[in-house]
Amino acid sequence: MASPNVHRACSDFHQTSEATRRRYLETPLTRRQVVARGLGTGLAIYAANAISLAQILESAEAEAVAAPDAPVLVSVFLPGGCDLLDTLVPLHQYGAYADLRGRLGLREAQPLGGSGLGFHPALGKGLRGGVKGLFDQGKIGFLPGIDYANPDLSHFHSRHFWDTGLVTSRRATGWLGRWLDHNGSPDNPLQGISMSSGLSPLMRSGSKPVAAVSSPNDAQFWIPGVWGEGFDRAMETYGELASRRPTPPGPAAAASAARMARTVADRLMPYRSDDNGVDPLAPPVVYPQDNELGKRLSHLAGMLSLPLGIRVASVEAAGDFDTHDNQPQDLERNLTDVSEALSAFQADLEARGLANRVLTFVWSEFGRRAQPNESRGTDHGAGGVAWVQGTRARAGVLSDYPELTKLDAQDNLAVTIDFRRVYCSLIEQWLAADAGAVIPNAAGFGRLRLVA
Amino acid sequence: MADQATWSEAHVRRLFWRAGFGATPAEAARFVHAGKDATIKWLLSSGSGTLRGAPPSVEGKPLDPTNEWGHDVLWWLDRMVRSDRPLVEKMTLFWHDHFATRDQDTPLMLRQNRMLRARSLGSFPALLRSVTRDDAMQLFLSLADSSKEAPNENFARELMELFTLGHGYSERDIREAARALTGFRARWSNRGFGGTYYDRSAHDARVKRIFGKRGRYDWQDVLELVCSHRSHAPFIVGKLWSYFTPMPLDRVTRKRLVERYRRSGLKIKPVVGAILAHPALYSDLERPDMVKSPVVFVAGALRLVGRGVDRGDWAWLLDNMGQALFRPPSVAGWEGGPAWLSTNTIRARFTAVNYLFDDGGPLAVANGAISSSLSPAEAVALARRSVGDQPTSAETNATLERMVVRFFADLKPDDWRRQQRADMCQRVLRHLLLSGPEAQLH
Repeated sequence: MASPNVHRACSDFHQTSEATRRRYLETPLTRRQVVARGLGTGLAIYAANAISLAQILESAEAEAVAAPDAPVLVSVFLPGGCDLLDTLVPLHQYGAYADLRGRLGLREAQPLGGSGLGFHPALGKGLRGGVKGLFDQGKIGFLPGIDYANPDLSHFHSRHFWDTGLVTSRRATGWLGRWLDHNGSPDNPLQGISMSSGLSPLMRSGSKPVAAVSSPNDAQFWIPGVWGEGFDRAMETYGELASRRPTPPGPAAAASAARMARTVADRLMPYRSDDNGVDPLAPPVVYPQDNELGKRLSHLAGMLSLPLGIRVASVEAAGDFDTHDNQPQDLERNLTDVSEALSAFQADLEARGLANRVLTFVWSEFGRRAQPNESRGTDHGAGGVAWVQGTRARAGVLSDYPELTKLDAQDNLAVTIDFRRVYCSLIEQWLAADAGAVIPNAAGFGRLRLVA
Repeated sequence: MADQATWSEAHVRRLFWRAGFGATPAEAARFVHAGKDATIKWLLSSGSGTLRGAPPSVEGKPLDPTNEWGHDVLWWLDRMVRSDRPLVEKMTLFWHDHFATRDQDTPLMLRQNRMLRARSLGSFPALLRSVTRDDAMQLFLSLADSSKEAPNENFARELMELFTLGHGYSERDIREAARALTGFRARWSNRGFGGTYYDRSAHDARVKRIFGKRGRYDWQDVLELVCSHRSHAPFIVGKLWSYFTPMPLDRVTRKRLVERYRRSGLKIKPVVGAILAHPALYSDLERPDMVKSPVVFVAGALRLVGRGVDRGDWAWLLDNMGQALFRPPSVAGWEGGPAWLSTNTIRARFTAVNYLFDDGGPLAVANGAISSSLSPAEAVALARRSVGDQPTSAETNATLERMVVRFFADLKPDDWRRQQRADMCQRVLRHLLLSGPEAQLH
């Protein structure tokens, strides 16, 4: 039982957890600190003497020099199923909206240009007016009603479909991983990165290497009491153990993860914070505090500014858009985090001079039921929301808003655009590649102009 | 094929990795002597087990799982390291992943954990009833306060999709089951959450149609309906199988396990016992092919080096490796298998091994402790003894011995740095035996 005398109030617990996590995760120990804390017995600090720094830089830069302006596609996933109606409010159908969402609905939605739609006010938060500001500056194209025919309302099925670009329950590679299989490099794992501890299913590839990286600091290896030539021998041997190519999936994953982790560490070594904690990739704009998505995007922007050959990246928002209960509070908090993080990211890219080669695609696995439930929330539904963002995104509202008076047989919003149409369009118009090689039956989905 | 006659230490080690957290050299010797049947019987024997050795303390204080950040994780990790019923902990972990719950108050999560442990090898319907009434689950999947006016489908959907069936039901079945599951309420006061209870007046007592049958169903009826659904036994049997082996489940074995499960009245223990005795579990003993989950990796390493949970770091290290206990990523649990390993998580595992090397610990190599005249084979054997005598493949042995030679290749016989190199070389050998690609597999 959670009575206060048994359990020192919940907020304390969460504060402790956050503080502890932050202490450990945001200031990873440098080798010098490790020694100071008595973990190691060595005194010297390893300085990349065997693997020549110049060599590492050369190989990474070779790819970047070959294609210095190669476009980058960033996927931002809002987990849980983001509600369309309260995020992008149908002011042009306000009567029907109020009838449906009366108890839940927003009365202070901010009108969105001449589109007939309104914004959840939380989307106005952040640098230069947040996501709303970006829309007003012509840097966002919204895709209301996005989904697929006969939507499956399971988180896992729907997410799997969006991850793979295939409406099937078969195991499959991610659609970005598959794009890399056809267009990527055979030896640069950083070409496709997940800003997370595990690899995003979007990025899972068949043959080309990809990486999960949280920041250049977190990519390094060390062993207490081992330095200099000793450490070089250790890492060579680790590489040799990983150089075998076993066929069963478990052993293959162990060998390839170890091999690629070493490559990533080598490539990011020059960019880690120095032993005084000075971060060479510190952002030129102020990101929101205590915002996990913002932190991930800030590390990503820093890495995009380097010649690492990044082509596709995947970031997951920390919030939970599965608002079965208390949607008004939870959606507001989550959209605030998203708006503050995405507007800082865009400003960061612009300040670093990268904005013209980065396009961000924001999506969620489905929408929510038009009619709310009794817990001040909404159940899983169809017809969600997504958007493209960037200086070269086509601006405006790019798909039809579902009609609230024409719900389907399950009382769900109609689907007005298939997500695979958007994938095909992104592949052709932004990544300049053949969509048919990545998305089966690509020709059947049509195209929508997403790039200005 | 592992019958009583061919039962070897390698078989014991494989079984203890899959059904527990690795076998120490003493355990390997003891259970090879006991034989296959007796060993499996011992693993399955009832009771949740006693904890061997001294209780853990971190920074000089006993664990406080309710109040201190991460101590819930350490509390459970300690059970995995010290329990004399490793399979019970392994099955508790299976159910934590299967009935994945997160974002709830720690006391509720700990209570759920004790319930899962007590029921881990018993009757599935009894377990499912307890899970359905569990406070943490009721809050997590919005079953509490789902009322007849507006039934919440969250629990009904996961009940069918993830907990019992996988397939063989329709959207309509979910909606109707959600109506039947109404009636639970949460008690809230200014002291916060005060438990859940059943309120008949909030229950939808009208007729529902589920799986083609009609009735005035309530929550207990729904649980009976899903447990007697034809998809249930194959679903749960398949999931248990893949928890213990990555080998595909062939049709004949599936049929046999399904029959065994149904004949027993939907009990877990007979199915698990049959899986643990199956030859597929012992295939290719020299080449393990299943990826250890992060907690199995850590608990196994602690057991093999003979060390308890004596530092708080394991909580955040496990988080970095992708498995924060009590915080599964979603209601679907952890994806597991090869997906445990990315460039980031495998580096996190490498880093975690560093935390076994502190001064005075069982793996520590003091300066000057190692003779610089050990042969490569002797140096590798010495390192192997410090990590619980786990065998490695011939290729790995050869690679490690070559490394020993290279460690001294640039030094003349009288170079003063030979001693320093011998110490470092021993540290690296011990590290790579625990952190290398092969150490990720069991």
